[in-house]
Amino acid sequence: MPFIQNTDEDRKAMLDAIGVASIDELYSDIPADIRVKEDGDKIRLNPSMGELEVTRHIDALLKKTRNANDFAFFRGAGIYNHHVSTLTDHIALYDGNFITAYTPYQPECSQGTLTTVFEFQSCTTALTGFEVSNAGMYDGASALAEAVMMGYRLTADKFRKETRETVVLAGAIHPEYAGTVKTYCETTGLKLVTVGAGPDGRVDADALKQAMSREVAVVAVQSPNFFGVIEDVESLVATTHENEANIVQVIAEPVSLSLLQTPAEAGVDICVGEGQAIGNHMFMGGPAFGFFASRKENVRKMPGRIVSETTDRDGRRAFALALATREQHIRREKATSNICTNQALCALRALIQLAAWGKGGFLELGKQIISKTQYARQTFGAIMGVELLYAESPVFNEFVIRTKAGLDKALQAQGIMGGIPLEDICMGEPGDYLIAITELTTKADIDSYASALADLLQTSDHGGKE
Amino acid sequence: MTKIPENPAERLMFEISKPGRRCVTFPALDVPEVDVDVALKGVKLRSEPARLPEIGELDLVRHFKNLADKNYSVDKNFYPLGSCTMKYNPKINVTLLAQPGYTKAHPYLPEADVQGHLELMYNLEHYLCEVSGLDEVTLQPAAGAHGELTGVMCIKAYFEDKGEADQRTEILIPSAAHGTNPATAAMAGFKAVTLKEAANGNIDIEELKKKVGPQTAGMMITNPSTLGILEPKMREIAEILHGVGAQLYMDGANMNAISGIVQPGDYGIDVMHFNLHKTFSVPHGGGGPGAGPIAVRKHLAPYLPTPRVKKNDDGSFSFDYNRPKTVGKVRSFFGNFGALVMAYIYMTQLGREGVRRMSQNAVLGANYIRVMLRDYYHVHHDRTNAHEVVFTDLKQDKENGVHTLDIAKRLIDYGIHPMTVYFPLPQNTGGQGAMMVEPTETESKESIDYFIDCMKKIAQECKDNPELVKTAPHTTPVSKVDEKTASTNPQLYCAMCLG
Repeated sequence: MPFIQNTDEDRKAMLDAIGVASIDELYSDIPADIRVKEDGDKIRLNPSMGELEVTRHIDALLKKTRNANDFAFFRGAGIYNHHVSTLTDHIALYDGNFITAYTPYQPECSQGTLTTVFEFQSCTTALTGFEVSNAGMYDGASALAEAVMMGYRLTADKFRKETRETVVLAGAIHPEYAGTVKTYCETTGLKLVTVGAGPDGRVDADALKQAMSREVAVVAVQSPNFFGVIEDVESLVATTHENEANIVQVIAEPVSLSLLQTPAEAGVDICVGEGQAIGNHMFMGGPAFGFFASRKENVRKMPGRIVSETTDRDGRRAFALALATREQHIRREKATSNICTNQALCALRALIQLAAWGKGGFLELGKQIISKTQYARQTFGAIMGVELLYAESPVFNEFVIRTKAGLDKALQAQGIMGGIPLEDICMGEPGDYLIAITELTTKADIDSYASALADLLQTSDHGGKE
Repeated sequence: MTKIPENPAERLMFEISKPGRRCVTFPALDVPEVDVDVALKGVKLRSEPARLPEIGELDLVRHFKNLADKNYSVDKNFYPLGSCTMKYNPKINVTLLAQPGYTKAHPYLPEADVQGHLELMYNLEHYLCEVSGLDEVTLQPAAGAHGELTGVMCIKAYFEDKGEADQRTEILIPSAAHGTNPATAAMAGFKAVTLKEAANGNIDIEELKKKVGPQTAGMMITNPSTLGILEPKMREIAEILHGVGAQLYMDGANMNAISGIVQPGDYGIDVMHFNLHKTFSVPHGGGGPGAGPIAVRKHLAPYLPTPRVKKNDDGSFSFDYNRPKTVGKVRSFFGNFGALVMAYIYMTQLGREGVRRMSQNAVLGANYIRVMLRDYYHVHHDRTNAHEVVFTDLKQDKENGVHTLDIAKRLIDYGIHPMTVYFPLPQNTGGQGAMMVEPTETESKESIDYFIDCMKKIAQECKDNPELVKTAPHTTPVSKVDEKTASTNPQLYCAMCLG
């Protein structure tokens, strides 16, 4: 049998030691009438496969797919086609001492993992400007939902005499994130209010002011937002704090932190985000990880695992899990979250990737993306029949164009996977496309997308087709 | 603050950083370089570049290699960590996953371009339906606790639909349950009501009957339990719950004992989660990522998160978002897809026979350990156990003043990762520290025998030289770590990262 090393002889010796005749006897607590029969067909699974057959099977499945490498690729929205360093794969996937270890509950034989988590937290601090962060959450969406819950707890604990149970989602927030927050709010009984984006693609500041009241506990904003537009975070912070509520910033493209003002500098209370862009493959959207950071005084309200520096008995530097009294295995129903297994290996990947980029590389990466995005925006803006939405607003790596709908397939046939049709995910009108740029996007890619689109628009105009 | 170690291999990455070093370089910019201030129309920029380290490639590789070698891992060590199922992670899982077909698959690709991925998810759902004996599966939850939350949300939505949500406010949870169970119930807005177990470790039926009622939304039961014991009265428990209209949730953390042996659906459960990183060998990765799919009976299926994977009449697959009763999204996209691929590869290799043999051999190994060590350590329930067995430090505590933690740390000196300690909690193990041992089916008898020998030696050391055990470990890169200070005076980042 695959992966089982014991022989019949070994099994016999163990059964003899136990004093039973068969393994079946060890299952006597399961009523016989529902026990699956050895040779029955109650459980319909395939016959076991060896390495050759399973490889063949997976190859056959993969033949029914295409991926970013098959196209000039322009899709993002929280999952970005960045370069992943070979160093990241080699260390995270092929060093068994990272990938086959468990949560570092025993620090003496887990200093490797613990040190990397401490370094990961340090990098999160370097990126966000916040003093405390954790070992990671499932993804950006659930991290935002947990941050909203934490923001609610912070406000509710501070104003115990008031009923502050309203959550405000402000502006263009990723629909997958907003949907997750909605689910968590419904389950916990918090009231959810949404404030839309204005004509410039940013949070409608007046509407936000109107939505604010003493009932609001927490405001959540995405920046850069779902349309790629960079929000005026400082002014949103001011509006929220005037109302003595907490504000969460979620970031879908953490590479933007290479250049943009840090959430800590902008004054937000909690910053979370999707970490995929840093060192994690796209994998249909997971696994990657969520990052989570806040100010020092909030550390005991944070969800998730946290690692601290400490010493060993001989005074040497060592690392250990800390503040476990927040967590479910100690606090049970009073825990700050139920999270246990997280996305440790994905956070390790981000750490390796950040180190591989380094301070200079990360900065250059951000600058290259901005230059390429500006070039793409200008190139598309110059096409007859293409309108740049929110053209006056600043963007980092993504932007929205409005053009004729229904040209996607024709573009794909030319090897171009254009922007995400926003109509399909209820985030825009027919013909709105969200275009994402990374360092892997070449000028040639942009030019070919733009010229193919221009040609298609011209042809369809001449053909008189709608 | 401790001193920076002399050996560069011992330093943090920030401490080996030197301005000007780097690994990754980019191609020359192929578009005009813009002035960032102008391009971003004056939005505020960060006051200084992020203080990331600057390291050359060899030093980076060496840094992580030295760190990796400080870990114990399944690849290197016997790792009998109870309730975590630290089985072998086949190398083929990673190799097949690391192909562009997976690494470069974007969640917003057209459905026509991801048919092979949809088919894999559809097949995996089918496998899990078969193993659970339930009707429908969602693969979305990212981990066991996330599956619990999703399952309990479905229960809540079900009662909302029936107009009973205001009435059903409680979830019953055995006292020895994993901490995620009560935390989940609380997170979903329920009151977690604790059920004390009977003296033999099973559910106390009388206690259950007393606490169950019209206010009960459901019960979360782990089977086999966290005490490593199969619950013989599962069907009766299900009947009691159903008798008051409540739902039975099964925590499937311990499916490595019963997969292929019994379909939990036959017990009468309504919903359960799997931990694919335990039972189906997704590598634990130092704490994740895992995957926590849930399986439900038909009446709960309308509430599962969106999207669902659907097989169309023409044999193609698509995502179904049109589920009006859904609880909604519990995370982004389709789950930890990469982890699902690895579990699928594992399950495909096992097949029907392999799944059954997996459980049988896991249970065999754990019972063997119990019998071989029962004269040396107190067995909390010395009776047939499932895939894990719980010892306590009763003997060593009373006779030699040596405790569970000491024994666990001493195991490290023998090259074995400690078992799970102090879980279940002392209140569930007669006030003594628990030692929960789970060998898994992938270990050879020789490895298990070595563990047994080491445990016997440690029992003897507790008598002859208790100080040796109490000061362990003696062979690790660091000696016993001061975990208390880590919490009372937390230092959560390297000071070099923040201005």
